Amino acid sequence: MVISDPVYFIALPLLTAFLLPLFGKIYKPLIGIIPGLVFAFIAYISFDLYLNLVPGKPIVIQLAGWAPPWGINLVFSEFSGFVVTLITFLAFLVWVYSYNFKKVGFDNSKKYFTLLMLLVAGSIGVVLTGDIFNMFVFLEITAISSYGLTAFYKGRDSAEAAFKFLLIGSLSSTFILLAILLLYKQVGTLNMAEIAVKAQSIDPKMKSIIAILFMIGLGIEAEMFPMNGWVPDAYSQAPGPVAASFAGMLAKSGIYALVRVFYTVLEVDGIFDLLLIMGILTIIFAEFSAMRQTRLRRMLAYSSIGQMGLIMVAFSFNTKAGIFAGLFLMFNHAIIKSLLFLASGFLTYSTKQKKIRDLDGFGKIMPFTSLMFGLGAFAIVGLPPFSGFWGKLNMLVATADSNLYFVIALILLVAVVEVVYYFKVIGRLYFRQQHKEVEVHKPTWNAIAAMSVLAIVIIGVGIYPDLITDYLTKATNELFDKASYIHNVLPNLSLN
Amino acid sequence: MNSLVLLLLIIAGGALLSYFGHRINQLLGNITVFIVALIIPIYWFTQVDFTETVSLTISGFHLEWGYNMYGKLFSMIVMILSPLALIYAIGYMKDQKKLATFYFSFLFSILGMTGILMSRDFVSLFIFWEIMTWSSYLLVIFFGKDVEKTGIKYMVFSALGAYAMLMAIVIINNNTGSMMLADYFTAFGGFSLQTKLLTGILLMFGFALKSAVMPLHVWAPGAYSNTPMAYTSVFSGALSKMGIYGLGFVVVNLFAHANMSIVGDVLAWLGAITAVLATFSAIFQDDAKKLLAYSSIAQLGYIVTGIGIGTELSVMAGLYLAILHAAFKGVLFMAVGAVERQAGSTDMTVVSGLVRKMPFTFFASLIAIIALAGIPPLGGFVAKWMLYESLITNGNFLMVIMIFLSSTAAFLYCYKFLFGLFLGQQEPEFDHVKEASPLMVVPMILLSLFLMVTGAYPGIVLKYIAAGMTNLGFHDVSWQMSVLTNTWGDSVNFQHIFLAVVVVFVAFLIFLTWRGYKHSTKVSTKDISVSGEMIKPEDNMTYSKDFYKPFERVLQPILKWKINKYYDEFGKGLEALFDFMRRIYTGNGQTYAVYVITFLVILLVFSKSIFGY
Amino acid sequence: MQEFLTYGIYGTAFFLMLLGLYAALVKKNLVKIVIGLSVLDSGLHLLFVAVGYISNGTAPIFSPAVVGKNVVMVDPVPQALVLTAIVIGFGVTAVALALVVRLYRKHNTTNIDEIKNLKW
Repeated sequence: MVISDPVYFIALPLLTAFLLPLFGKIYKPLIGIIPGLVFAFIAYISFDLYLNLVPGKPIVIQLAGWAPPWGINLVFSEFSGFVVTLITFLAFLVWVYSYNFKKVGFDNSKKYFTLLMLLVAGSIGVVLTGDIFNMFVFLEITAISSYGLTAFYKGRDSAEAAFKFLLIGSLSSTFILLAILLLYKQVGTLNMAEIAVKAQSIDPKMKSIIAILFMIGLGIEAEMFPMNGWVPDAYSQAPGPVAASFAGMLAKSGIYALVRVFYTVLEVDGIFDLLLIMGILTIIFAEFSAMRQTRLRRMLAYSSIGQMGLIMVAFSFNTKAGIFAGLFLMFNHAIIKSLLFLASGFLTYSTKQKKIRDLDGFGKIMPFTSLMFGLGAFAIVGLPPFSGFWGKLNMLVATADSNLYFVIALILLVAVVEVVYYFKVIGRLYFRQQHKEVEVHKPTWNAIAAMSVLAIVIIGVGIYPDLITDYLTKATNELFDKASYIHNVLPNLSLN
Repeated sequence: MNSLVLLLLIIAGGALLSYFGHRINQLLGNITVFIVALIIPIYWFTQVDFTETVSLTISGFHLEWGYNMYGKLFSMIVMILSPLALIYAIGYMKDQKKLATFYFSFLFSILGMTGILMSRDFVSLFIFWEIMTWSSYLLVIFFGKDVEKTGIKYMVFSALGAYAMLMAIVIINNNTGSMMLADYFTAFGGFSLQTKLLTGILLMFGFALKSAVMPLHVWAPGAYSNTPMAYTSVFSGALSKMGIYGLGFVVVNLFAHANMSIVGDVLAWLGAITAVLATFSAIFQDDAKKLLAYSSIAQLGYIVTGIGIGTELSVMAGLYLAILHAAFKGVLFMAVGAVERQAGSTDMTVVSGLVRKMPFTFFASLIAIIALAGIPPLGGFVAKWMLYESLITNGNFLMVIMIFLSSTAAFLYCYKFLFGLFLGQQEPEFDHVKEASPLMVVPMILLSLFLMVTGAYPGIVLKYIAAGMTNLGFHDVSWQMSVLTNTWGDSVNFQHIFLAVVVVFVAFLIFLTWRGYKHSTKVSTKDISVSGEMIKPEDNMTYSKDFYKPFERVLQPILKWKINKYYDEFGKGLEALFDFMRRIYTGNGQTYAVYVITFLVILLVFSKSIFGY
Repeated sequence: MQEFLTYGIYGTAFFLMLLGLYAALVKKNLVKIVIGLSVLDSGLHLLFVAVGYISNGTAPIFSPAVVGKNVVMVDPVPQALVLTAIVIGFGVTAVALALVVRLYRKHNTTNIDEIKNLKW
């Protein structure tokens, strides 16, 4: 289609984000409607582009007419296209969910949707861009809008969470910027494909310093231990749909950047071993902390960190099987965690303290939301026939293929912990007597629609995973084949 | 359409229909459940083509389903016991809440078991295994009692077992490049010793856990007694047999054939220890449900011993016992459920003398107890005889003594069970008790009839066992319809014994009844004579209380050693560790920033060793 | 003189970065932490400009005065990046100060050690 152009992904949300207050001046309901139209449109074009993508021929767009390496380019390939499609799909669902979320006390929808659109534009930008400094800019757009969204509710401790997030986030941006500076000093270019070619000649010592800086800067976004102190606070204080978009967009763009940098741009020996160790530590600390949480959202946040750790471990094998598993886990984490956060939005909305023990017997009074939460919990711990199972199975097969038996044992032991805390919640939801009269906030019809779509995806992929495996395989091949990425972006350059 | 796929679809569809039926109203739901409970076995016995296979490739994994004789043998347990339990459940669960969830989970666990038994590859085996696990978890916590303790314990142990299997599966895949069971069996001989032990023992761990073998049994007493009894009969009767099914092919197909019978022997020893300890625990239970739960563990111990020894006779004994156990434990749990529903309690110190009120339930329980205790002429005797014989020919005399000790001690709890609930004097508060509804009685009676028939004609079952054992590598297993021959050449015809016993029994019963009517005097339960002791009103002087007090005193040292305690301590220790670990998230934003910088410094300092430039 | 200037610029940049880091990590006052982050940013920006500077280079503008002559220009890219980075840094500082105001209103303190309702 003519209008299908990756530029829209970034330009359209950015533009509408700033015009939204203006639309509000014209006619108030437009504030809610316009973002939906935009998200629907970009979701449509991303599906359109992604499904019609010719294998091995990514769409490369040159911005402002400057050919790379001078101008900034966008690369819509099998891998980045997959992540973008995931993000736009989730963005649309988050909009559907939050269209009339909490009618009372949610009159700031102007700010909310503006920030949400910035977040979406930023995370799509991170994924699409082919320029390393541009990636930094989009990371910062994502980060700043996330600070705003975290601090969205005035009543809670949200400012505290946002400030911690900001403190760590600005350190992250400093390190990324420093890394970019050092890299630029060495290779004299900012284009990722060109860097990939020229990076081979960098002094290994300098290269490792750059790698460490990237590791820390992007690791903060990707929720890597020990730099993930902000995660539980931000996830638990942000509004429910925002936590869902953090899991689906912020974390995804962080891990995408990490993977893209270390797989394509900067090849450093030993970085994957480091990633493996940090991934394992992330899983262990996150899941153990999640086990002892008393608040639902905080528990989900720690569990989210654990999932990200698992994704890091999967990517650290540097094999096709590992990347495939990592992509599958990314997909699962985005879909399932979003469902859990969306469901928990209404579950905790009805309780004052937001504690897990306040949820006794909610299966009776909020049957749909509880069912969705239960489904998400079943899926995320990897029970068949839900999509989480296939991700975990592929992940373990990949681990075994790398002969890392102790990692399998470790992941599975930690998974037992995960089972325990999720099933504790399910037990409370369904098999406990309700405490006393609680003020119930039934989910609105659009929230039900959004959650149902996610649930259908989870069950559909769970029963028939081949719905997505083809695309995952293509994305794997794209990420694993560094030379063709370079060739597609810069036809004149090639590795050696 | 492929009959295997259709079978699975029927069960899954039945689950959904029952769910929605019960969401609409109870009557419609019950009718649906009843029809589903009839259709499933009828379809299985008449329409399923056991030579058919299904193969499909999902997400790069090759899945294949198809029955072999060994799987078919276990499927028979599932297909006979579960529909009966479903029909029983209609009566037992009448007017309970959340019936939709109950039948949905019930049917899904049947789906899981059916799937396990037709899986020819590890992926589908694991998928169905997990479906079985989560659906049974939902039933374990169904009544909401002890959700934190029992439910979580069950889930933790199930997850441990399942994940052990999963680990074995991916390692097998790594070594053979295939997920098929058959490929594993053939490749097993060529593995290194480490891989053999690692994969085999991890698989065994998963299976042994479901069959509640000694150090892994702690979930079982709570789970068996907390679950609605209608499901417990399947839980203990059929679901635990999935563990036996797996142990059978791991121990016999792999280790015994690879000349590593030591693994089987260890398992057999564990089974024997389980049998002894669980029996002793069962004796001192006051709650009939708990008693049966421990008794189940003990019986599973025998079965595991039989499988673990791994000779032709012992495996046959184990499998025979497995089938019988499904039948008699099915009856007993159903009977306890009937008592629970009719009398309101299963505490043996409270309930007593229900024999007049619930004669059919008593009859079914009596038959089941006879089978359980291994009293001739019923099947339990034959199975135990075979087990002893195999142990003796194998030279495991100590194990014979243990099994013998445990089955003798089993008489104590058998008697206590019958006496506690049904015999003795009936308290006036149970005057209103009536016999359970036919929906509950008929399944029990049918199962006890099955026990009687197999007592007279063990060959009915042995035929299928012999056929099933060909898949374990035992060909030409000899069996006869009613005549049992031992290795020393003696033979015994069970038909005659059965008839003789029945005649004597009936005559004795008539004699008792006649005497009972003539010479009995009515005594109230409060008519107690004490020799000088002062009895306080709150003292429970029921005869069933402290039934085996002296015996308990003798066994005190053994009973004191509760493995449960160690697990609890371990769990507490872990929680303390977790609490300690999460302190690194101090809540101070600056500390987090310090972590980042510290991490940076550490990486920079060690960059030489990390990146190796 | 030239060398002195080069070292001076690099030295100042690193000094500013360390100073900012020190303030962000050690000072307890929220406002001081924000100032620290800002100083850290400034140091980094200075470093950027210093890296892009070439001795005796002119401004990277193609004006008639330089076209066709053999003039060395400084690298324009880092300067362009710094402009962007400054804008971003400004945005972050603004958000941070807004948060500080809200935190002060809620907790009546600007000591970061006393603001930890969310922990573990």
